[in-house]
Amino acid sequence: MRLLLVLLTLWLTTVAPISAASPRSTLVDAMRAENDARKIELISSLAGEGDEAIQPLLIAWREDALYFYESSDGPLLPVQLIGEKDDNDARAALRVDTGAPLVDAAGVPIRLVAGDLAGVEHNSALRRAMKGVLDLIEVASPDPKKRIQAIQTIGFAQDLDKLPAFKKRLAVEPDPRVRRTLREAIAVTQLKDPDDAPKFEALEELKSLHSLSSYDLIRTAMREAEAAGSTKVASEAKAVLVAIDNHKSTVNFYGTIFRGLSLGSILLIVAIGLAITFGLMGVINMAHGEMIAVGAYTTYLVENIFGTGITIPFFGLSLSIPGLNSTGAFYQTYFIFALPLSFLAAAAVGIGLERSIIRFLYRRPLESLLATWGVSLLLQQGLKLMFGSNNVQVSSPSYLSGNWTINDIIFGWNRVFVIGFAGLIVFGVWLILTKTPLGLLIRSVMQNRNMASCMGVRTERVNMLTFGLGSGLAGLAGAFISQIGNVGPSLGQNYIVDCFMTVVVGGVGNLAGTVYSAIGIGLVDQSLQQILLNPVLGKILVLVAIILFLQWRPAGLFVTRSRNLED
Amino acid sequence: MPSLSTRHKIELIAVGVIALFFIVIFPLLNAHGMVSNFTINLWGKYLCYALLAISVDLLWGYTGLLSLGQALFFSLGGYMMGMYLMRMIGDLGQYKKPIPDFLVFLGWSDLPAFWVPFASFPFAAAMVLLLPGLLALVFGFLAFRSRVKGVYFSILTQALTYGASLMFFRNDMLMGGNNGFTDFKFILGHDLRDAVTQRGLFIATAVVLLMVYVALRLLSYTKFGLVQKAIRDGENRVLFSGYATAHFKLFIFIVAALIAAVGGALYVPQVGIINPSEMTPDKSLEAVVWCAVGGRATLVGPIIGAISVNALKSWASRAAPDYWLVILGGMFVIVVLLLPGGIVSIPSRLKALWARFKKKPAEAEPPKATPPPSEPAVTTATTPSA
Repeated sequence: MRLLLVLLTLWLTTVAPISAASPRSTLVDAMRAENDARKIELISSLAGEGDEAIQPLLIAWREDALYFYESSDGPLLPVQLIGEKDDNDARAALRVDTGAPLVDAAGVPIRLVAGDLAGVEHNSALRRAMKGVLDLIEVASPDPKKRIQAIQTIGFAQDLDKLPAFKKRLAVEPDPRVRRTLREAIAVTQLKDPDDAPKFEALEELKSLHSLSSYDLIRTAMREAEAAGSTKVASEAKAVLVAIDNHKSTVNFYGTIFRGLSLGSILLIVAIGLAITFGLMGVINMAHGEMIAVGAYTTYLVENIFGTGITIPFFGLSLSIPGLNSTGAFYQTYFIFALPLSFLAAAAVGIGLERSIIRFLYRRPLESLLATWGVSLLLQQGLKLMFGSNNVQVSSPSYLSGNWTINDIIFGWNRVFVIGFAGLIVFGVWLILTKTPLGLLIRSVMQNRNMASCMGVRTERVNMLTFGLGSGLAGLAGAFISQIGNVGPSLGQNYIVDCFMTVVVGGVGNLAGTVYSAIGIGLVDQSLQQILLNPVLGKILVLVAIILFLQWRPAGLFVTRSRNLED
Repeated sequence: MPSLSTRHKIELIAVGVIALFFIVIFPLLNAHGMVSNFTINLWGKYLCYALLAISVDLLWGYTGLLSLGQALFFSLGGYMMGMYLMRMIGDLGQYKKPIPDFLVFLGWSDLPAFWVPFASFPFAAAMVLLLPGLLALVFGFLAFRSRVKGVYFSILTQALTYGASLMFFRNDMLMGGNNGFTDFKFILGHDLRDAVTQRGLFIATAVVLLMVYVALRLLSYTKFGLVQKAIRDGENRVLFSGYATAHFKLFIFIVAALIAAVGGALYVPQVGIINPSEMTPDKSLEAVVWCAVGGRATLVGPIIGAISVNALKSWASRAAPDYWLVILGGMFVIVVLLLPGGIVSIPSRLKALWARFKKKPAEAEPPKATPPPSEPAVTTATTPSA
């Protein structure tokens, strides 16, 4: 199999024009060289070269697939035999020096029998040299990601023999990230240098690079230096370790803040709908979580319609939904379409719920809690029967599934996107509530339903629209949740407690409070996780902290002042 | 004590008859093979649920506090009893070690200190009451002191339950993690799989339920019971009349927690397993459904509700497993919207309907004095006019 691959690459290289023949001729020289020392020297000179011909040829050499062809004139010519044997046991031959087929004077391809030829010899010392070169092939790979990976793997093995190849590569490397990795690898490898001066130099380099990954190797180097009695290196290593530690805590600090912000944004997105239905309308909607699930499943459906279509159980009917079979950029836009659809789907469910049940319960909050919990069970089971009880996966579009790494801090695109979108949603809700006629009506009804009704506001209609808005926002949240984790019928259950906590801590009836409390809870949660290294314990502590916080401020962060005793 | 109304006399007689049936006749039938062991075990479970439902009702129906933490107290009681039962397994577990299997699995060779005293039944029984009681005291004190009420109380108790279930799901809590406790063998030296033991547990549950019922019935006649209902109907007025409502509520909250805990402690040996999924806020809400279906603000309502809903569940989870949640959810919506008084209000509703039906032909006559509403307490409590 491997050989076949090699042959395939060889065939490809023969088709493609060969730009630089120098690595090939170096190899030919190495094969022809008189003594092993010269051979090793020539082979090793190829280390760090990126030429595609080197790898297959070296492998062929190692696996006895190269032979010397004695032409009537000129020196021995190394050739590689390829293809199937014909009736005479002869095979087609390729010239190692050019990669072209071997031809006679008339231009007719020569077929050779392996048994007639002398093989190109190799021994263990040569094979070691070849391995050194082969190891470094990836270092010159055209793909920067592969380069980084190879450099890291080789560099952290701390093999001083690889140093020249790294330095050679550093001189020509264009990609800044690869350059950084190369410098790190060189410095780490230099830590093994027997002399103190290069070690010292390497430590300085690692310090300036804030190399987190070489922490353990530096510590080893420090112990070795202490054992060897070179205090200068040891103390420098210690200083470098302190510097890296500081850098690490800075990275963790900003990383925690970023993760806290993004978690806070997720909380904000899932809770802002509840801040409207619970905070403004006073309806305890236990089915809020299922509105999130409705949004998430809508996204799932849209994704599959853009893709290859899908068959869902749909109450045992096995409904087939055809797909658009789109690919590429158009497929990637599915999320843009899914957003408004998720909003509309959840808003429709919400309006249905409001019209059928909640409107009878506006003055009975505890009863609305119970009835909506019943609805949440109905919706959960409904989703299970429609989409199956297993979790489904929604594939993220490419613009949501990558990350930026700035100064060792990882910024996932989906998290950055969530933060940005949370801001947008809050802004949008603020616009609706304060700058539109609907917002004016909503606020008036929420402040005093009877008075608004007396002034001619159609409170029934406003209630319906407000509840639809809150539910629709939950649907939007679902669209985002689907990008972060799996989507399942009981998805909403994971968020419902957090949602209520966020709104209660923020202060009921106050959107700004919800924003602050969501981000606050997100930050506290992530910091506790960072400190305790245990997500569940952190979550429990957050719940305890919230209960205690409500002792101090029973009405939440922002209190809506009222002279009504019952408020 | 006020003199008993006819309605209460009827209720007392009915309860007496039913109690006699459950405590004496039902077990006797079982002993003579006319009632299967499975049935008596199932009804034992229902009666434990009835204890949980009655604790919900004491808070919600009588005091207006919708606690979503009753499942937590129920399972805490269960866990305390479970720890005793785990110790009673001795070295008969899978690993044949003197410590519970899950501890062996987690790499323990000796018993953790807090597990040691649970070999004693009196200690475990005391902990069944102490731990939930203490938790209720601390949480209730904090909540009522800062005047958390209405839905905020519900949401806070829900968070408490959620947090506790997260905690018990963890293995390093050393309480069995995800799987909880199971494979019990002995209680007080009797084999748990013995029909006699199960019958004894059933009788104990029925007796406890009767005692709780009688105690709460007596409480409802006292001044304390009146204050309790007054808090439900208008807390501020009670407060302004000079009552420290927080103390009343705290006391009720602790009593309800204890009832639920005892229910849990009796539940575990009969069902044979306790794990953190019993502790979720959903289980509390389910208990609220039993109470609502049976009839809140009555004492027989929650018992009827717990038994009938669970009997329905036993049937539905065999006949239509996919639709059980639909039935439960639908039942909830219907009860809240159409039948706020629950099953026990059906007779009086029918009577009212019948009265209206009979009155119709006479409507042409000059109007008489309006008849008094049949269920004043419940309807005014659930719909305070605003």
